[in-house]
Amino acid sequence: MDSTIALSIALIVVATLAGLVYRFFRGRGRSVSGAQCIKLEKLKILKDGEEITKFGKEATVVLFSTEYCGQCPAVRRSLAKLEYRKGGLLFIEVDITHRINLAAHFNISQTPTVFILNPGGEIRFRIGGTPKPKTIETELEKLGVK
Amino acid sequence: MTTNNHVDPRGPRFGAAITSVLSLIAFYLSLSNQSLAYAIVVALGVLFTWSLISPSTHPYGWSFAKFIRPNLAAPKELEDPRPLKFAQQVGLAFALLGIIGGIFSAPLITVSAAFIFIAAFLNAFFGLCLGCQLYLLIRRVGIIR
Repeated sequence: MDSTIALSIALIVVATLAGLVYRFFRGRGRSVSGAQCIKLEKLKILKDGEEITKFGKEATVVLFSTEYCGQCPAVRRSLAKLEYRKGGLLFIEVDITHRINLAAHFNISQTPTVFILNPGGEIRFRIGGTPKPKTIETELEKLGVK
Repeated sequence: MTTNNHVDPRGPRFGAAITSVLSLIAFYLSLSNQSLAYAIVVALGVLFTWSLISPSTHPYGWSFAKFIRPNLAAPKELEDPRPLKFAQQVGLAFALLGIIGGIFSAPLITVSAAFIFIAAFLNAFFGLCLGCQLYLLIRRVGIIR
């Protein structure tokens, strides 16, 4: 009898720990070395009806989204605001709903996923899940975006 | 794309909270009173199937709309039902593991209840929908389109 209660409590503890670990790591992001580059001519990203051909002067933020992604609209709004506020920053969005091969290519396992690129289009930082507040701004400052 | 069938994300989380309580009871009982635990896992399987066939008449959705949602502010974001539906299918798969496997081997009822509990608990209290996370990964591998 006692051991059944203990096992049930253990199950709750395990689930809670898993949730706390998830909450701790979600949206933290990590620096990327190895310099994988984004090729704009391959991605063919449209923004306001025009194809993007140049990276941002100081940095580019790329949001990978899907039609069915629940958190993406909120992230899109906050990144669009950031682009408006900061000089030299370009924000682009790639919808991978029908381009699922891109997810494999960039090793994206969830949406939203955000990449921060340097002026040369190299991936410098990546975040899986809704970014934690200020994470993106802190990383952009490292690239000289004010 | 169509946005008219999007759902308030708090609805599924409310449902997950009930599922987590039911599956925890099933887990506890499976260690002492197996036939009662088996009945609860069967009930969970019925609920998962129901949500796949007719989400609008599901008792979780109905009670959320009737008792919970009127007391909440309008949702900030609506959610596309596709990953949610997939998550329910994953839930059903685990319930079936308990329902079919439980006939041959009682510990499978415990395993089934434990998995359903962990997934439902994480969804309800941490907003982590494991099935939804799997959705993109599985599409990436190409099992579903």
